[in-house]
Amino acid sequence: MTNEDAGEVRIDSESDIVAARKIVRDMAIALGFGVTDVTRIVTAASELTRNVFRYAGSGIMRWRTVTAGEVIGLELVFEDHGPGIPDITRAMEVGYTTKGGLGLGLPGAKRLMDELEIESEVGKGTRVTVKKWRK
Amino acid sequence: MADDTISVIKLHNVLMVTVPPDPDDETVSALQERVLQTMERYEAKGLVLDISTVETLDSFFARTVVETVQMVALMGGRTVLAGMRPSVAITATQLGLTLGSALTALDVDRALDVLDDRPRLGGDGDDQ
Amino acid sequence: MATETGRATRARATKATQRLTPDPEVYARLLVDTVSDYAIFTVDTAGLVLTWNRGAERIIGHRPGEIIGRHFSCLYPQERIDAGVPAQELKTAASAGRFEDEGWRLRQDGSRFWANVITTPLHDPLGQLIGFGKVLRDLSQRQQATERFRLIVESAPNAIVMANHEGLMVLVNSQTERLFGYTRDELIGQSVEILVPESVRSVHPNYRASFFADPKTRAMGAGRDLYGVHKNGREIPVEIGLNPLVTEEGSFVIASIIDITERKQAEATIARQAQEILEVSTPVVQVWEGIIAAPLIGTLDSQRTEQFMERLLQRIVETNSPVALVDITGVPTIDTQTGQHLIETVTAVRMLGAQVVLTGVRPALAQTLVHLGIDLSHVITRSSMSAGLRVALDILNLQVVRNNAKR
Repeated sequence: MTNEDAGEVRIDSESDIVAARKIVRDMAIALGFGVTDVTRIVTAASELTRNVFRYAGSGIMRWRTVTAGEVIGLELVFEDHGPGIPDITRAMEVGYTTKGGLGLGLPGAKRLMDELEIESEVGKGTRVTVKKWRK
Repeated sequence: MADDTISVIKLHNVLMVTVPPDPDDETVSALQERVLQTMERYEAKGLVLDISTVETLDSFFARTVVETVQMVALMGGRTVLAGMRPSVAITATQLGLTLGSALTALDVDRALDVLDDRPRLGGDGDDQ
Repeated sequence: MATETGRATRARATKATQRLTPDPEVYARLLVDTVSDYAIFTVDTAGLVLTWNRGAERIIGHRPGEIIGRHFSCLYPQERIDAGVPAQELKTAASAGRFEDEGWRLRQDGSRFWANVITTPLHDPLGQLIGFGKVLRDLSQRQQATERFRLIVESAPNAIVMANHEGLMVLVNSQTERLFGYTRDELIGQSVEILVPESVRSVHPNYRASFFADPKTRAMGAGRDLYGVHKNGREIPVEIGLNPLVTEEGSFVIASIIDITERKQAEATIARQAQEILEVSTPVVQVWEGIIAAPLIGTLDSQRTEQFMERLLQRIVETNSPVALVDITGVPTIDTQTGQHLIETVTAVRMLGAQVVLTGVRPALAQTLVHLGIDLSHVITRSSMSAGLRVALDILNLQVVRNNAKR
């Protein structure tokens, strides 16, 4: 942990997926999320980290604590300079999940987190931002 | 985490694997390899995957399990996932993951009971 | 005639030159004499006052006429004279080339004031020591400010800890002593980390560093539970506010610490009561070995259903029950989201290795579920709780029969 409230880690190899999971787990626990929410956040992070590695080869995961008045939350940003997503609407469709090994698990990640935002441009890269608030 | 931390135990004619708490992709793939090798050697009738310490079950893990279950089935065996944690079950459900034709059991004891007999209890209902 | 004029011209020229190119020595003396913010005076090797500037007169009170020729020790309080301090100062300055001191001095009227004094040995061109120069600064105002500061800190209702850039405590108040169980002497000069729980001790310097990198008045560790540690090892839940303070002596942080033990206890009580209320309204009870029952009553919103799902699964694992009877007789309506949550519950229970038997699905509810497109075809359903119990027992009996057959 470099800073108490924010940080980033590079995603360059498969072992970085586990590293990202550990960091996210520690952060979620430190912020006081319940057991199930911690699992949700870590799993969503695992999916999104794997996306970065699998489709772009390398990228970065950033995290930071966010507040909305009295409510505390965790924000994760996954950024890469990969091929980008041609049809974001389609990628967010519920049927387009990670069932058969295809798809990006974005609807799933959205289901697990409270907010999901995605920016992507073909040939430029992708940025997925997710947030979960502690209830 | 290298694959020599995955140990496959043979109990009579059933294989048992205890999955570590947060396995990386390499370990998960190695798990599949070891299971298939051991299945072949001992002609086991079933596989019990003890996931009672697993804290994160993501799509890669789920996919590997589904594949393993299919392969084990092709080799004439059945697979039971034992001891899934509530938080993991909820997350996996909400993520939309399925476990193929894998059976499930509350713990390893019940898993072994399931493999001993024809009629089964549990599973996610993919094939009735 | 020419000579006289020449002389006069020269004299006039010299006068003009004097005005145009000033004598540096005159200016130097003028500076020393005029400066009133600093007392600047010299003494001979015996310590007798030789010169006395305007600043000295203003600050210390003696007029040049009264003090020149007297020994400079008259500027010191009696106890310092008795301790031989003035003579020691000159000796140290002579050998070290310089001596700086902060301490009490006496004004002409006998009153004390806090001063910073720099003593410098003076040598003639041959290198002989001929006396000492003293530059004195009146620190009363700063001293008063410091005193005032100490009083404010001491009278504060919270524990206050002031630490320097290195994390060493330089000031604490009696509330700090009371809260942490140390005396002041045990804390001053120590690292602030001794007040931090061991589990966090190694990363705390990082927090300090990041604070000094961007010093802002703020609460520490937003959203995290903070703990201090008492001398006896007990961990104390606290809230900490941080204030940066920059002085000429360096950067400091002032931490205001509040003990929130009581508040946490109250919060825990409220949370426990809320949980108890929740459990009373959605109880999950064991009705048989291997069977738990959960009658749901009232309208189910998304949050309540999720909480129910977590509790149900938890109880299944705790009681090792392969069958969970969920009765929705008491649920008047269901919306799409809650319906989805119900389906999720059934699926999640399956993943654990157990099974849901849904009972109490009345015709009206059945209609709603079908219209909402909620697929319950994979779920065992019965219209009444008792019918559901019968199914549950059948399922378990199969198990018993099977296990008996094995022996």
